[in-house]
Amino acid sequence: MATEEESAVKEPLDLIRLSLDERIYVKLRSDRELRGKLHWVTVWLLQAYDQHLNMILGDVEEVVTTVEIDDETYEEIVRTTRRTVPFLFVRGDGVILVSPPLRTA
Amino acid sequence: MSTGPGLESLVDQQISVITNDGRNIVGVLKGFDQATNIILDESHERVYSTKEGVQQLVLGLYIIRGDNISIVGEVDEELDAHLDLSNLRAHPLKPVIH
Amino acid sequence: MLFFSYFKDLVGREVTVELKNDLAIRGTLHSVDQYLNIKLENTRVVDQDKYPHMLSVRNCFIRGSVVRYVQLPPDGVDVDLLHDATRREARGG
Repeated sequence: MATEEESAVKEPLDLIRLSLDERIYVKLRSDRELRGKLHWVTVWLLQAYDQHLNMILGDVEEVVTTVEIDDETYEEIVRTTRRTVPFLFVRGDGVILVSPPLRTA
Repeated sequence: MSTGPGLESLVDQQISVITNDGRNIVGVLKGFDQATNIILDESHERVYSTKEGVQQLVLGLYIIRGDNISIVGEVDEELDAHLDLSNLRAHPLKPVIH
Repeated sequence: MLFFSYFKDLVGREVTVELKNDLAIRGTLHSVDQYLNIKLENTRVVDQDKYPHMLSVRNCFIRGSVVRYVQLPPDGVDVDLLHDATRREARGG
């Protein structure tokens, strides 16, 4: 049960916390994307200006995109590989963006 | 709270280090600090390739900066003695991309 | 809840640590420290044919900074506990 205080969104992290127990989208470095249920998120302060969002996601689908160059035609071949993982701890230093579920009516 | 990587039990033992640029260096651990900087003695590099077996390059006494270390493994000497390195072929490990 | 205290509850359990060099190592979690440095026992590399570089290693230390993911044992995850911890941290607890 979210109280008014809890649901006030002031900082980016507040929005992410509001998505607890909901499926979120996470874009990571090295062309990886995750979709999964957010079970845990914590701010890890490395330095005053540098913080990581470590997360635990459940029922995760990972999509990895790789681009290869064809040896003969020099065309770009884009491949995506998918897999699912029951529970995944994600180290925050790879996180580029986090998107909460769409809240359209 | 613990300080440092806790590699005490590996001192004077054979270890296998994977560096962030994908190299594999094997040697005897002589010392380390809280930043995982390590001193390796009698070390050699194992160079992997798909064209020939593993090449071993003698390095001697080496200090590796913790920033560049991915893995420190304890070498099981019996398992290691049974490895047929001259017939082992593999791509070198990829570098760590942060 | 310190960010690594959750991992302490998983000591003795099987996890798979995926590194930023694409290596995946499965083993029994022995310890985790405040840098998220991880020690595993009875390790094996998930794709040993492709990655035979650690065939003679059974115990290893993985530097936290090279960890991309940790696959957690499904029955070792207490979802309610994690939700509570996240809400507590939100309130500055």
